[in-house]
Amino acid sequence: MKERVELVASGFGGQGVVRLGQILGQAAVKQGLHVTMLKSHGTEMRGGYVRSQVVMSPKLIDSPICESPDYFIALSLAAYKRFRDTVPPSGVILYDPAFVDALDAGLACRQLAVPAKQLSVERFNRPILANTIILGALSRHLALLDKELLLESLLAIIPKFQAENRQAFQAGYDCVH
Amino acid sequence: MDRLSSELAATYLRPRKTPSTACSGCGLGANHKIILQAVSELGLQVSDVVWGTSIGCAGRQTFATWKGDGFAGTHGRVYAIARGLRLALPAEIKLILTVGDGDAFGIGLNHLLHAARCNADMTVIVNDNLGYQSTGGQFGWTTPAGSRTDSSPYGMFEPGFMGGGLDIMNILKGAGATFLARHIARDGQAAVENMKRAILNRGFSLVHMPYPCPTNFGSTNLGTRTPVTIYRWIVERSAPLGQETADTLWATGVYLDASNSRPEFSEQVREKGQQIRRTQAA
Amino acid sequence: MKRFLETGNFAVTEGAILAGCRFFAGYPITPATEIAESMSRRLPQVGGIYVQAEDECAAMHLCIGGALGGYKAMTATSGPGYILYADPYGWAIGCETPLVILNSGRVGPVSGITGAPGQGEFYLTRYPTQGGNFETICLAPNSAQEAMAMTVEAFYLSERFRTPVTVLADQLITDGFEDISVPGNEGEMKEMGFRIWPRQIHPGPLFYPATDEIDIPPVQLGHNTGALCSDWTPTEEGYDTEEVENHHRHAFRLIYKIRNHRDLISHRCQKSFLDDDPELIVVSFGTPSRVVNTAVAKARGRGQRIGSLRLINLWPFPDELFTRKAIYLVVELNWDGQLVREVQRAAPKDSAVHFLGTCGDLPTQADLEESFNKLLANQPLTRKGWTLEAW
Ligand SMILES: Cc1ncc(C[n+]2csc(CCOP(=O)(O)OP(=O)(O)O)c2C)c(N)n1
Ligand code: SF4
Repeated sequence: MKERVELVASGFGGQGVVRLGQILGQAAVKQGLHVTMLKSHGTEMRGGYVRSQVVMSPKLIDSPICESPDYFIALSLAAYKRFRDTVPPSGVILYDPAFVDALDAGLACRQLAVPAKQLSVERFNRPILANTIILGALSRHLALLDKELLLESLLAIIPKFQAENRQAFQAGYDCVH
Repeated sequence: MDRLSSELAATYLRPRKTPSTACSGCGLGANHKIILQAVSELGLQVSDVVWGTSIGCAGRQTFATWKGDGFAGTHGRVYAIARGLRLALPAEIKLILTVGDGDAFGIGLNHLLHAARCNADMTVIVNDNLGYQSTGGQFGWTTPAGSRTDSSPYGMFEPGFMGGGLDIMNILKGAGATFLARHIARDGQAAVENMKRAILNRGFSLVHMPYPCPTNFGSTNLGTRTPVTIYRWIVERSAPLGQETADTLWATGVYLDASNSRPEFSEQVREKGQQIRRTQAA
Repeated sequence: MKRFLETGNFAVTEGAILAGCRFFAGYPITPATEIAESMSRRLPQVGGIYVQAEDECAAMHLCIGGALGGYKAMTATSGPGYILYADPYGWAIGCETPLVILNSGRVGPVSGITGAPGQGEFYLTRYPTQGGNFETICLAPNSAQEAMAMTVEAFYLSERFRTPVTVLADQLITDGFEDISVPGNEGEMKEMGFRIWPRQIHPGPLFYPATDEIDIPPVQLGHNTGALCSDWTPTEEGYDTEEVENHHRHAFRLIYKIRNHRDLISHRCQKSFLDDDPELIVVSFGTPSRVVNTAVAKARGRGQRIGSLRLINLWPFPDELFTRKAIYLVVELNWDGQLVREVQRAAPKDSAVHFLGTCGDLPTQADLEESFNKLLANQPLTRKGWTLEAW
């Protein structure tokens, strides 16, 4: 297993990108890992995206910057275009096709569609569950974090709609391979 | 009148700073005496008062005169120090500040207004020598209109906070002060009585005390260094509130007595803190 | 010990409370606003006082008032507010008032860019006020955890030295989230190296002794000790004086009480691969040092003889760390080069000292790697830093 795992989540303001990073970070803390998380915003001013950069490691973390993210969660086309080239061949891009509708086929890394928006509406009739679906999908690939701990910190941070959140998390887990 | 009784001095003043180093004929000493007389008549001990001052003549000439604890701020800032100190000192300890007009109504006005806003318990005595005197005599914000000073050689033509329908007291009242008075030392016992009320108010009190500066204002604007003549000039332009004439520059007496009508700042902070502690686990 | 995923702002607040801080006055400014906010929530819970001031100048003066009344007091800001401390900072230095100031650096000058990190106040922490004739203490953490530790340490040093101490952080430290361990009792605090110095009351009458002594209680008002404190040059008792002789003594006290006890402060630094005979030493402080450490470790992996010296104590400047003849590369979050000037002064005379600047964003691994390669091959740096002098 890689010691240092970098994860970038980016999208528009209001999509819960910072919250997503926090949930991941909390889970990592619970697991006894070291974590850093930087949030950048000021959306319009800085290129129209919000970004969380999360680094997790069993060792003390030096640089908190994700220069070559192992995971990139792309929740807007602008974010995808801006950060896709930083993902190394070994990395994974998880994108929501509702926002990222023009894929760059030339990338060496894996690119996995997570139809979070669509699922959240069609299955649960709650668009707010989209991020839970994303996290579920991520947990399938993020070997570093325990799936149950991740779900636990999600439920701790989002105490509303517990049953739906559990289902949505599993739905996300099931929708990627 | 100008000389402190040796008894007052022995009780309250440090020998090292008496007599003061103010110019001869300076009216500051008479103001200082009014304050000490009030302190004495209230039966306050040296340990009951912490004394703060500004810079300038009004501040420096009174700094470290008080036998007890004393402090001085940089230009205009003593009100902010005093506001912090108020939060830290026991409520029984009185805070008395002797400051200059430039300090209070110019550079320090924002801090002064915020001390008034929150009704922090302190008594600010603005010793107003009608301008910036320790820097050689420039006009200030309470200098009478038209006065010739070193920085208004053609007469002060921009509006100040006094005259032309303005009175600095209105601003302080609007900001939330709970006791406001104006006196000249010649008001004698009347000034002492109102100084006592100012000190007794558990809240923000300010007493404005115009006084003659022979060295600068007197000599430049009035053409005289004679204290009596300058005093007469000031007396002629003051009148008790309600008896003002067209020539009155300084209406004297109690401008506002809303003593103890608003919560005092440090008490409020303390009480609220205790309430929060009772209801909230850390 | 409790672990949290929290911001540096949280860490500073909790550190201050652990250190005994019970008075905070502040004024909102990104990226230190959250410290004021969390202080307003936390201090009343522990019997402390939070005040929001009319401006930063007032904020620090309020802290002075709180400290004179017996509180351990603190304020926090960013560059535009730090400059407004100039007036009270000088007062607190002169009257030897213990205070802690946190400055979270953003991009300047003036308001600059609010939400991005900068290091434009390196020299300002040495000269935070006018007049000269003093020495300052400044600590620069590079993580949230260390921001907590350095806040505790700043309170400790401010009491022992009777002086304001600045903790110089940056936007990434205060706004960034990290896993943070908060000690729950004295034993755990000791374990983490947290030191506490209690506030005492100076009995007088010589409040400003003409010596370099430390560990003297500060002036406090309200105890009828006859304490005096002012902005004028004091006699030993605190009377205002115009005697040059008095000034001389006071100035020497302000300078040498710190310079003569540097051993209490200046051991704080982080050395990586420095004993391994480095050809190139990279010097930095604050968040950039974390990227530097990663880059240096990678370079060692490639067999390059590079070491990293990360300063924590910035003032008094730790000259003694610069004895080795080497190539020096100073990495800072500004384009003008501030720390580099001090390194140029302190490094052995025949050492080459180079500068890599950036601002608003941290330097990248690629920037650093390229610079390392160039310098080790005796080539000039082409991309950044001094080359801007061509302008
Ligand atoms: C920040 C600052 N600006 C200017 C001065 C110079 N200065 C010293 S005393 C003084 C005059 C103060 O006037 P006032 O408060 O009316 O006192 P006065 O000397 O008239 O009694 C000034 C401007 C200073 N010490 N600090
Ligand atoms: S300059 Fe004027 S106000 Fe100042 S001490 Fe002399 S007479 Fe008094």
